Amino acid sequence: MNLQACLLLSSGLFCVGLYGLLTRRNAIGILLSIEVMANAANLNFVAFSRYSGAGYGQVFALFVLALTVAEVAVGLALVMALFRSHRDALVELASAFRH
Amino acid sequence: MTPGFIIAALLIFAASIFTVRSSKLVHAVLWLGAMLASTAVLFIQLDAPFLAGIQLLLYVGGVMTLMIFGVMLTKKSGDGELRTESAPALRGLVISLALFGLLAGGIFSMTNGAPALQKPEEVASIAASVLGEHWLAFETLSVLLLAAMVGAILLARKRDAGAPESGKASPR
Amino acid sequence: MIFAASLAAAVVIVVLSATALALWYERKLAARMQTRIGPQFVGPIGLFQPVADLLKLVQKEEIVPMGADRVLFALAPPLTVIFALAAAAFVPLWPGVAVVRSDVGVLLVIGFGGLAMVPVWMAGWASFNKYALLGAMRAVAQSISYGVPLVLAAMVPVILAGTMDLDGITQFQATHHWFGLWPIIPGLPAFILFLLAMLAESNRIPFDIPEAESELVAGVTTEYTGMQFGFVYLAEYVHTVVGAAIGSVMFLGGWDGPFAPGLHWLLLKTLCLFTFIYWIRWTLVRLRADQLMTLCWKWLVPAGLGLVFLSAAWNQTGWSR
Repeated sequence: MNLQACLLLSSGLFCVGLYGLLTRRNAIGILLSIEVMANAANLNFVAFSRYSGAGYGQVFALFVLALTVAEVAVGLALVMALFRSHRDALVELASAFRH
Repeated sequence: MTPGFIIAALLIFAASIFTVRSSKLVHAVLWLGAMLASTAVLFIQLDAPFLAGIQLLLYVGGVMTLMIFGVMLTKKSGDGELRTESAPALRGLVISLALFGLLAGGIFSMTNGAPALQKPEEVASIAASVLGEHWLAFETLSVLLLAAMVGAILLARKRDAGAPESGKASPR
Repeated sequence: MIFAASLAAAVVIVVLSATALALWYERKLAARMQTRIGPQFVGPIGLFQPVADLLKLVQKEEIVPMGADRVLFALAPPLTVIFALAAAAFVPLWPGVAVVRSDVGVLLVIGFGGLAMVPVWMAGWASFNKYALLGAMRAVAQSISYGVPLVLAAMVPVILAGTMDLDGITQFQATHHWFGLWPIIPGLPAFILFLLAMLAESNRIPFDIPEAESELVAGVTTEYTGMQFGFVYLAEYVHTVVGAAIGSVMFLGGWDGPFAPGLHWLLLKTLCLFTFIYWIRWTLVRLRADQLMTLCWKWLVPAGLGLVFLSAAWNQTGWSR
């Protein structure tokens, strides 16, 4: 395995996530796509740290993990609020997301 | 390119495609779990076992569980299929393929295409790095997590929560 | 490589046969506690009762309920067993030998423990049954909550030994002291916390609300028949056996013991913990779902944080060197 293969895989993964982000209408589906993209970024961090020798890659990947968890928690809370007011989790319903 | 890497890469890629394409949300969540778990396998191959463990614990055990909860709590009675209309699907395909082409072009034109493997990081050195050099980021992250927790609780609470509400302990 | 593979096969066989023995042992134990005799007809003192049970389960018809998600329904029970077995690979069997030796063994073991929730949830969801779904939701909530005190309790031996390698932890205990006994203050409470959280993670009484038979029929296993049911049932026992083994490795010194250290000590300690777990199972009553959450978030998590703090403080004193 070499660096280019890892980078290619992670860019492919990122683009798949992007595709999901653009096509999903369900809010949870969008969150899932964002997870795919974050995972691609993480893969990049780990691969670069493995081939550069500088010890920051894994540290950054750890930070990304923590950030993603926070994002999922807030995102799901938003989805819950959306579902409670509209009885559905489609994102276009959130155009009037005020109270 | 070891066979282990190829297998893991194919698994990750296939699972990610199923994650964004599958027409049932539950299946999409499970495919996401499969993708995250196979990424953990790849991390082990990249000599990052600590990150693989964290990935299993936090992503598969935590994030996926949260997602499962989200799916179950926002389920409409009688729904099932998630449909994607063909126009946005085509648009998304074109955009993401274009981005992939751009990225792949960049990757293949890297001047230092195949750097040598370096010494793998030790767990202790990661810990020293997190708590030593990056302590400020670490502390900021804990504040962020706290803020996210408070925010999530506030958002997910019922609006009329001021009064002694009826369903205090019951899952909504 | 060949050694590791044959060791892995041996561990799988040993864990599975230990589980079969555990089934018999539990039934005997439970019977004695209730002044019964327990299984006694199949084989000497009923030893082959698990085999008879297995044969019975295999013969039964497998029914897939109408409206079930067929793929997930079929996939979930074997996955439960696989995930439960996976954690056994990291247990150090005798000095320096485990199927998989990893620098972060503790983390991976707990990760696999958390993973075990996924097929349970799959089973409940795919069954298309309200009791199964309720059970699945409870399993998920329980697993995600009790993962926190489990990690905190596991942090204590990690901090005290200064390594996340399970064999390293055992080695440290062999040269210094068993963490369950000394230092008594973070050690023993952490051991109890670990046991409680592990019981909750493997859905055992007093934490078996996902399959509370008095309110949820049989929880996630409601719709399962034959060997599919057998798999889920088996996985629970495997989970308990492996959990007891991990507990004895992390807090009771694993293979360490007087005279000759080795596998027999690990087995003995695992058996003791297992007996203790089943003693609890046949003595205590089940908690209610909200009591379970209260116990976790209001008592166990703060206690775990305090224990982590105390063990760090103990390390600072330098008395363990």
